[in-house]
Amino acid sequence: MATHDIFMPALSSTMTEGKIVEWLKKPGDKVERGESVLVVESDKADMDVESFQDGFLASIVMPAGSSAPVGETIGLIVETADEIAAAQANAPSQAASQEKESSPPPVQEKQTSFDSPKATEIPKTSPAPLVSESSVNQNQFLNDGRIVASPRAKKLASQMGVDLATVRGSGPHGRIQAEDVQSAKGQPISVPWIAESNAPAKIVSDAPRIEKKSVDSGKPPTPGKSFGSRGETIAFNTLQQAVNRNMEESLNTPCFRVGYSIITDELDDFYKQVKPNGVTMTALLAKAVGLTLARHPQVNAAFSSEGIAYPSQINVAVAVAMEDGGLITPVLQNADKTSLSDLSLQWADLVKRARNKQLEPQEYSSGTFTLSNLGMFGVDRFDAILPPGTGAILAVGASLPKVVAAKDGSISIKKQMQVNLTADHRVIYGADGALFLKDLAYLIEKNSYSLSS
Amino acid sequence: MPFETAWIWQKKFQESLIEKPFSPQAVWFLEHFPCYTIGRGSNTKNLLFEENKSPIPLFMIDRGGEVTHHMPGQIVGYLVLNLGLYKKDLFWYLRELEQALIDVLDLLGIEGKRGDGLTGVWCEDKKVGSIGIGCKRWVTQHGFSLNVDCDFIGFEKIIPCGLSKVKLGKLSDLIPGIKVCDVKPLLRESVQKRFKLKWENI
Repeated sequence: MATHDIFMPALSSTMTEGKIVEWLKKPGDKVERGESVLVVESDKADMDVESFQDGFLASIVMPAGSSAPVGETIGLIVETADEIAAAQANAPSQAASQEKESSPPPVQEKQTSFDSPKATEIPKTSPAPLVSESSVNQNQFLNDGRIVASPRAKKLASQMGVDLATVRGSGPHGRIQAEDVQSAKGQPISVPWIAESNAPAKIVSDAPRIEKKSVDSGKPPTPGKSFGSRGETIAFNTLQQAVNRNMEESLNTPCFRVGYSIITDELDDFYKQVKPNGVTMTALLAKAVGLTLARHPQVNAAFSSEGIAYPSQINVAVAVAMEDGGLITPVLQNADKTSLSDLSLQWADLVKRARNKQLEPQEYSSGTFTLSNLGMFGVDRFDAILPPGTGAILAVGASLPKVVAAKDGSISIKKQMQVNLTADHRVIYGADGALFLKDLAYLIEKNSYSLSS
Repeated sequence: MPFETAWIWQKKFQESLIEKPFSPQAVWFLEHFPCYTIGRGSNTKNLLFEENKSPIPLFMIDRGGEVTHHMPGQIVGYLVLNLGLYKKDLFWYLRELEQALIDVLDLLGIEGKRGDGLTGVWCEDKKVGSIGIGCKRWVTQHGFSLNVDCDFIGFEKIIPCGLSKVKLGKLSDLIPGIKVCDVKPLLRESVQKRFKLKWENI
């Protein structure tokens, strides 16, 4: 009786994570040694992963569409059909809940890499011999002289009760491979085709890396800006006067506020992909807002003395603070219909000309919806004042790692961004704002890739 | 050359290499009739038409990467190699394929470069070479495509490689009048050198 883990293979020595494209077998299916069980993708390369064992696929731990670190258990194989149920019962609970749903939402899938107990166990036991600076490895060397073994060999050794100190390694630099453990135990050697990892076990660094990003607000704070010295009174400049007028006027608008927490892991992935093409986060947010406004025209509308005015375009204004006081809101015209790269180019040009005071009135006063982002300062939430003449403004906070509980009670770490909509209640009602935010959250969380359309 | 035929050839060689690791490896340089191919992990959202209403043949195939388009005037290179004889590292292999293309461009006096974090080969800001491979027990199939003097009209119906606004380029933009037959011999040489191959009866 034995359960064999299928591990996320290393398709490359520099690969840290792979995506499961497709399971070719279902739980309960018979598999033969050498038969393809699933397909893993990394970059532009696909690899069929084969079983290194005759038996049955007992459980899929990581479903298709999810990503897992190299060396992570992604499925279980048992030797006889009778063992399937037992293996399933012992499998991480995530697997069971996911099998019920035929296409689980991606948000849940990703959690597995965090909440599966295996994910946290592997780093502790894998010696990661190739990562020299990893502090986790230090203890390992102290214990048994210098044991260098693959994660799979480690795992097998503990399952089979083999002391790794007594095993001679046949891998590079005497590294102990899974076969070595099996031959030490006198078992027939079943060669794991590629289920064996030979990559530096970078799994360790995944969690800390997320934390690091969250503390970038730990940079020494820059001193706040002041336009005058102590004891002085400084006259408002033209721009500041304009802002003052607008802000006072906004007091006549009956506003309400509604907030939402949006998970941004998918958006961040997509951003990484398009960044080399010059796409900026401002363009991504403006496009996401533009596309959502197209589906929620009420939130793009404004109060006028004649009634509710529906603009002919969706123009997203983005607030920019000016160096010498005041702020300006350059406008990305037709944000719903303009491509990400054009939005990025236009934005760079608008900001440059705004700094040089070269914007035409049309370029900063034609907004139909405003975006205000203070996320770059690490602000987690704030609310904005509605610019007169428009119906709503969205305040965007920083995307920060948070412990998130899913509907099924599982806990994971996700990057979360809080947004807060301020809207004119004469035009936009609570439900309008809420539905807009729900739709925006759906687009960012589940459908970021459609931003490229 | 229809896409299916080339795919069947590759499968045959891949199977024999899996059975017998030292049996002949195979390389083809071809042009296809217009078709779209889409990897197993691809997002069908990158097709700007309904899946069953493709204007030209559409193949769901076993390679990595998103949808792409093949047509006359574009050279596709298929390599069925046993990476067990080279290096069991797919990223290494992708970089080697890119280098083989960059070397060919160099022979033509064009500077080709890699994209930041992306697989493929660019000339200035235009993508001229695309790569997508499949692998089974370290035996590869599929490979690369290089735009020589092809017509890009078919790309309007897809988001190539899933990258919106990727700008596509072809060699004839840089070297007017260049033809597939001018480039093939250079590719042959470059691939042969890079993977230390000995040609037999091609």
